[in-house]
Amino acid sequence: MRPLFRRIAVPLLGSALMLGSGTAWALEERVVVMTSYPDDLVQRYEQAFERANPGTDLQIVWKPSRDAAAELAKPDQGGVDVYWTPSLGSFPRMRDAGAFRPLAVDRAVLPGVVDGQMVSDRQGFFEAFEVAGYGLIVNPAALERDKLTQPATWRDLAATRWKGRLALPIAGQVGFSGALYDILLQAEGWEAGWALLGEAAADATLVGSGGQVSESVVNGEADVAVTVDFFARSAIANGHPVALVYPPRTAFLPAQVAITRAAPHPDAARAFVDFVLSAPGQALLFHPDIRRYPVRPDVYTQAPAGTVNPFQRIGAEAYAYDMEKGLNRHGLIAALFDTLIAERQDRLKTLWGAVHAAEAALAAKPDPERAALVSRARTLAGFVPVAGADADRLAPSVQDRRSNRNPEEQAAMRKDWSARIDAAQAEALDLAHRALPTP
Amino acid sequence: MRRIVLLAAALSVAAMPLRADEAVTAPVQGRDAFSRPLPALDPVHRAAFHAGRSLFQQVWTVGPSEVRPDLDGLGPLFNRQSCVACHAKNGRGEPPEGESDSMRSTLVRLSVPGGGAGAAPRPHPVYGDQFNPDGIPGVPGEGRATLVWSERIDRLADGTPVALRRPDLRLGNLGYGPLGPEVMTSVRMAPPLVGLGLLEAVPEADLLALADPDDRDGDGVRGRVNLVWDAARGAFAIGRFGLKANQPSLRQQNAGAFDGDLGLTSPLFPQHGCTAVQTACRAAAGEDAGEAGPELSDEQLDLVTLYTRALAVPARRNTDDPLVRVGEELFAAIGCAACHAPALRTGPSPALPELAGRTIHPYTDLLLHDMGEGLADGLPDFQATGGQWRTPPLWGLGLTAAVTDRPTYLHDGRAHSLLEAILWHSGEAEPAREAVRRMPSLNREALLAFLDSL
Repeated sequence: MRPLFRRIAVPLLGSALMLGSGTAWALEERVVVMTSYPDDLVQRYEQAFERANPGTDLQIVWKPSRDAAAELAKPDQGGVDVYWTPSLGSFPRMRDAGAFRPLAVDRAVLPGVVDGQMVSDRQGFFEAFEVAGYGLIVNPAALERDKLTQPATWRDLAATRWKGRLALPIAGQVGFSGALYDILLQAEGWEAGWALLGEAAADATLVGSGGQVSESVVNGEADVAVTVDFFARSAIANGHPVALVYPPRTAFLPAQVAITRAAPHPDAARAFVDFVLSAPGQALLFHPDIRRYPVRPDVYTQAPAGTVNPFQRIGAEAYAYDMEKGLNRHGLIAALFDTLIAERQDRLKTLWGAVHAAEAALAAKPDPERAALVSRARTLAGFVPVAGADADRLAPSVQDRRSNRNPEEQAAMRKDWSARIDAAQAEALDLAHRALPTP
Repeated sequence: MRRIVLLAAALSVAAMPLRADEAVTAPVQGRDAFSRPLPALDPVHRAAFHAGRSLFQQVWTVGPSEVRPDLDGLGPLFNRQSCVACHAKNGRGEPPEGESDSMRSTLVRLSVPGGGAGAAPRPHPVYGDQFNPDGIPGVPGEGRATLVWSERIDRLADGTPVALRRPDLRLGNLGYGPLGPEVMTSVRMAPPLVGLGLLEAVPEADLLALADPDDRDGDGVRGRVNLVWDAARGAFAIGRFGLKANQPSLRQQNAGAFDGDLGLTSPLFPQHGCTAVQTACRAAAGEDAGEAGPELSDEQLDLVTLYTRALAVPARRNTDDPLVRVGEELFAAIGCAACHAPALRTGPSPALPELAGRTIHPYTDLLLHDMGEGLADGLPDFQATGGQWRTPPLWGLGLTAAVTDRPTYLHDGRAHSLLEAILWHSGEAEPAREAVRRMPSLNREALLAFLDSL
């Protein structure tokens, strides 16, 4: 494999990363690692690292990403040696703020690209540790029982009448849903994607907790849900009769690792990064309670049966997901999801029910005039108050729900969105009713 | 098979295998077997169960957190940062593998003499009642705890060798000076959590009826209740949780674990456990606590308690297997069931009505029994002597290997197998252990098959 980058000489670290487990030299007695990973994952790495490096105590500092950013912005960076976390936007911002040391890796074993997506830092300050994909968790037995076809694409979310058996995460409340919905929106197109989401949500159960999305399918409350894949993969590995479907147009996004600029235990920090990127460290990702995808192609020989290999994905369409564009949009997507879907789900149910009824009636008794009304009703029912052409311009001004910057400006914007959505949906409902054949 | 059939006939296996109440057992057998809610949970309690699970899995953070102030307050001294760190998948913990390994899901209780008969253990004047290896930044941890194992070979009556290992506790890098010669220690591995709500719902009167501290029935078994302090009621109550039954309720058990293991104060235990000489700890605790009240809110404690209260018991497997049925008969015949009571009945359960009025099969009497010198930790705890332990429930036992990566048994994880665990039984359980030692191998196989079906 041709290295994508030239190796970076790293005098700061003394040598390039060894990418092996264990070290031949004496390390400091501790390494402080900041993360927001769940303990199911952290515990297993802590145990494996400490067993591979006796005498070095791995101290975990758990911080949500914004708290972590504040900590790493301090002059001593809070005594943290390593930042290791699934927080896509954090690493480039922290790199640009000078929080990290250069990190060299061997591109022969760590290509830094997965499924055509650059997942590591082009400038060499942070490295992908794992990737997770986005798709659908389904209960095949329940679908078969109800004679429903297993969904295969994002469009199938709206093409089937789920009668409340579809679970969708609420974008402003579930951490992974910003990326999930952006992948769908980039795959389907902004306007078409929002129309699809609105139509699907009319028939869905909205869920406000990330783990609960997949759990709703596991425990039988839903038959289909959209999710980041590790919840579904772990449920399968833990013996639950559910399945995971990747739409042909999806993406695999990374979690990353970096050594801090002020790392007080640089050798142990390097040993930790070496370990998590080593073959044994990467193979741990196959554990049933973790089930994230390694970024080393060579460890897939150890993968459990049935594991998708994101480096060689079968059935994938050529789809260049733009990760940086997506990162900017998460706040906008959350705000739009709230206004368009979460706050209007009852109205969406009525509206899309009317559209579907009109379409059924039209199919039973075709008529060009009514067809035009139905077509217009469908278009207006899927109205989104921010055009795709404006999304990237507008996105930076719409922060996530916890930042609450410019609250008055955002409230005014949402009020404007609501008015325009209400007008479009009222017209759509009227058209759908008018499109029904007169008795 | 012929010998099994004969044995079954000899024991006149008229009794049907015990069937579980489907409202409180989960049919799941995989790695999540200890993580399912009671099937009988109503929708409101089910939602609370999921919220409680989220808190149970949450890694708590050193305060203050701008983003999640509801999740800060870890420390100043602590063992682990989350409940799930010790109770992975609600199953057993793992002891350290040896001197170079660390305690992760095992802890060390500390005490010094002078607590008085029937009283709570007297905390160590410097290190308190639990060894906390870690501290938040600026607060020295108490040191490093690990186990060193030594092994001896025991032999069954037919000459089959069984390796038995016992731990030797090593406490090093002591952060606050020597522990002193008087210190008493007890190594405790995290126990499985299934069915705790059902055990809580067993009426006290039933436990008192099971108790026989003076061995009036002459069977050599002297179960007794532990009487422990109930902080919420401000009175003594029967203990039923903890390896020595030193906690009267799940809420207090959980609040105690948040306090002792994670350093989180709660409405039940509003003060941090820093001792007088742990000045950095006391200073950090003062800053932590301030006027904001306990770090764990009433609602959070209630949610975690509901979660632990509502974890279903996994359904038994292979109950119609002749080998299992013979094993079940043997279990009763040789006296195991004298302590590992096969059936109890729950009473009213105002905290979770779904638990009320159920016949359950936990294989425990929740009583204290003397288990002999080999298992004794020497640390008295209220009524429990240094040689007494509460009979651990056995339900879910056969799924330990499915749930836990490295299954081990007994209070400190010394046993690699159920046979090893049985051979460590002594004291009141000595006759039963000897019966197992003398058993023909096929009977032993049946007994273990029965245990594996639980």
